[in-house]
Amino acid sequence: MLLALLMCYAGFTALCLSTDRHHGELLHSKPSPRRRVGLRVLGWLLLSVSIWPAVSLAGWAQGLVEWCAVLMLSALLLVLLLPYRPRLALILAGVGLLASPVAAFATL
Amino acid sequence: MKEGFRQAMAWLHTWAGLIFGWLLFAIFLTGTLAYFKDEISHWMQPEVQAHALDDARSLTVAQTYLERVAPTAARWFITLPDSRDAGLSVMWQDKIDPGKRGNFITKTLDPVSGEAVQARESMGGEFFYRFHYQLQMPYPWGRWLTTIAAMVMFVALITGIITHKKIFKDFFTFRPRKGQRSWLDGHNAVGVLVLPFHLMITYSSLVIFMSMVMPAPILASYGNDTRGFFNDVFPATNNAPVLGQPGKLLPLVPMYEQARAHWAGGHVGRVAVNNPSDVNASVNVFRAGSDRVVHDFGSTVSFNGSTGELLRVSAEQSLPAAIGGSFYGLHMGHFAGPVLRWLYFICGLAGTAMIGTGLVIWLGKRQLKHAKTGVMPFELRLVEVLNIASMSGLMLAIAGFFWANRLLPVSFAERSDWEVQIFFIAWGLSLLHAMLRRGRQGWVEQLSLGALLFAAIPLLNALTTSSHLGVSLVTGDWAMAGFDLTCLASGVFLGWAAWKMHRRSVPQPKAERARGLTLKPEAH
Repeated sequence: MLLALLMCYAGFTALCLSTDRHHGELLHSKPSPRRRVGLRVLGWLLLSVSIWPAVSLAGWAQGLVEWCAVLMLSALLLVLLLPYRPRLALILAGVGLLASPVAAFATL
Repeated sequence: MKEGFRQAMAWLHTWAGLIFGWLLFAIFLTGTLAYFKDEISHWMQPEVQAHALDDARSLTVAQTYLERVAPTAARWFITLPDSRDAGLSVMWQDKIDPGKRGNFITKTLDPVSGEAVQARESMGGEFFYRFHYQLQMPYPWGRWLTTIAAMVMFVALITGIITHKKIFKDFFTFRPRKGQRSWLDGHNAVGVLVLPFHLMITYSSLVIFMSMVMPAPILASYGNDTRGFFNDVFPATNNAPVLGQPGKLLPLVPMYEQARAHWAGGHVGRVAVNNPSDVNASVNVFRAGSDRVVHDFGSTVSFNGSTGELLRVSAEQSLPAAIGGSFYGLHMGHFAGPVLRWLYFICGLAGTAMIGTGLVIWLGKRQLKHAKTGVMPFELRLVEVLNIASMSGLMLAIAGFFWANRLLPVSFAERSDWEVQIFFIAWGLSLLHAMLRRGRQGWVEQLSLGALLFAAIPLLNALTTSSHLGVSLVTGDWAMAGFDLTCLASGVFLGWAAWKMHRRSVPQPKAERARGLTLKPEAH
């Protein structure tokens, strides 16, 4: 479940950065069109691929439930962190991305 | 035309949400607590000791006890201990008057010694679970009321989605410290981000009571013989009748093992024995709900109790039964391990928060118009009182329930009923208090008291039992420790809320207040 959580969180952060408003708030600049598309593709990719570790560990029934739970929770966490600790929100996503190969190696 | 439709939906969302909001808040919060039903029961009955799980030993112990104490009962039910519920619970239905349904008697046994545990009488987490769908009303009125509330909830969710103009644009938006704007942002955030849970939990609650809500298909196929429908759906309820000749019940453990072999090692939840002293005794072994996401009510293996002959293995679920079972399973979350259970709990809290913020927004928007005069019309005052009593009052009631569990003497007559009464007395008093105090003061005082009561629960537990945090953390009794720590965290949260409320009630500088008034909410 950890790997799915890390991927979902990073995915949502990428989607969040692909919007002008949040990119401006977090990185104090407007994203270039290429970067916006890149972030959006990365975000959707991470979110959809994160089904796989959840399902491969727990089977379809339980895995899908876990994936949904992790999906909702990671978005909630990100949205609550953004106004209070914006840097931490970004750092967590970065750390999550870096740690996910380790998590993948340890669990799969 | 499109705006007209959206406005109509906003109107429906506003009023449906208001009228049922108070009730739904209570249903959501108690339902959320019910996810930790067994853990709450464990805290409320600390006398029940946990042992290493051994189903064969538990089953033998239960059978010996029941043969000694209730040999002539009409039915036995044995619920085996599991990782969440340490007690071996036995229940039997006595058969004193053959014309009437007998009373049910429940005892919790120690799975090693086989003696009934002298635990304090308490409903424990079962109270929240029952209240969640019965609202402490006589059958079937409570169920009907919760079902109607669920339908209104469903309407409120759908109309809320339609009303919310910018779901994707505002997906990540939460702007705190901006008054009404922040409440609406928060309402939208917990609503949208946890929407899959909200839709699932609301829709599945309607599925659970579908035979009550929509009996037409059953009546059409079975006429007045609704019993026949339930016999078909739950074959284990259709058992051999009493013959009237005394018989000897075989040991239950081999039947237990045969049943597990049928389920490829699946777990047994409970064992029911019908007419245990009769030659026609029958034994139904039920599969544990924690095995699978898709709940199967009828997953049983049935035996003849006096010959040990295998009578019936329930068939694979049909597709409609599997769909219904999956909604039931998702709603109850029996299958959830510790991590997933906490996620369920958080989702439930998010749902509760969505309802609570909605109620606050309704009042806040209308209060703005009267901010200058300082006089509130009766209907707004009514909503304010009900808001306070239904939210902070309910917290006080829950805290009172837990305090009563520790402070009422163990030998107190009808102790378990008194715990429940204290819950309602505390709730009633909070309503009275909300009527007597002006709005903000009412909030601050109730939230502060709630903070104090919850934060002191670990201390109270330490003073009244020998299972305080120092012991439970060391021995790894996570349910006990988790309960204490969660209460502490709730206390801190309520204290923070009270502090926020108090700070806002101090008159703001004029310029800031004027700015607050010009912020026009976009939706609704």
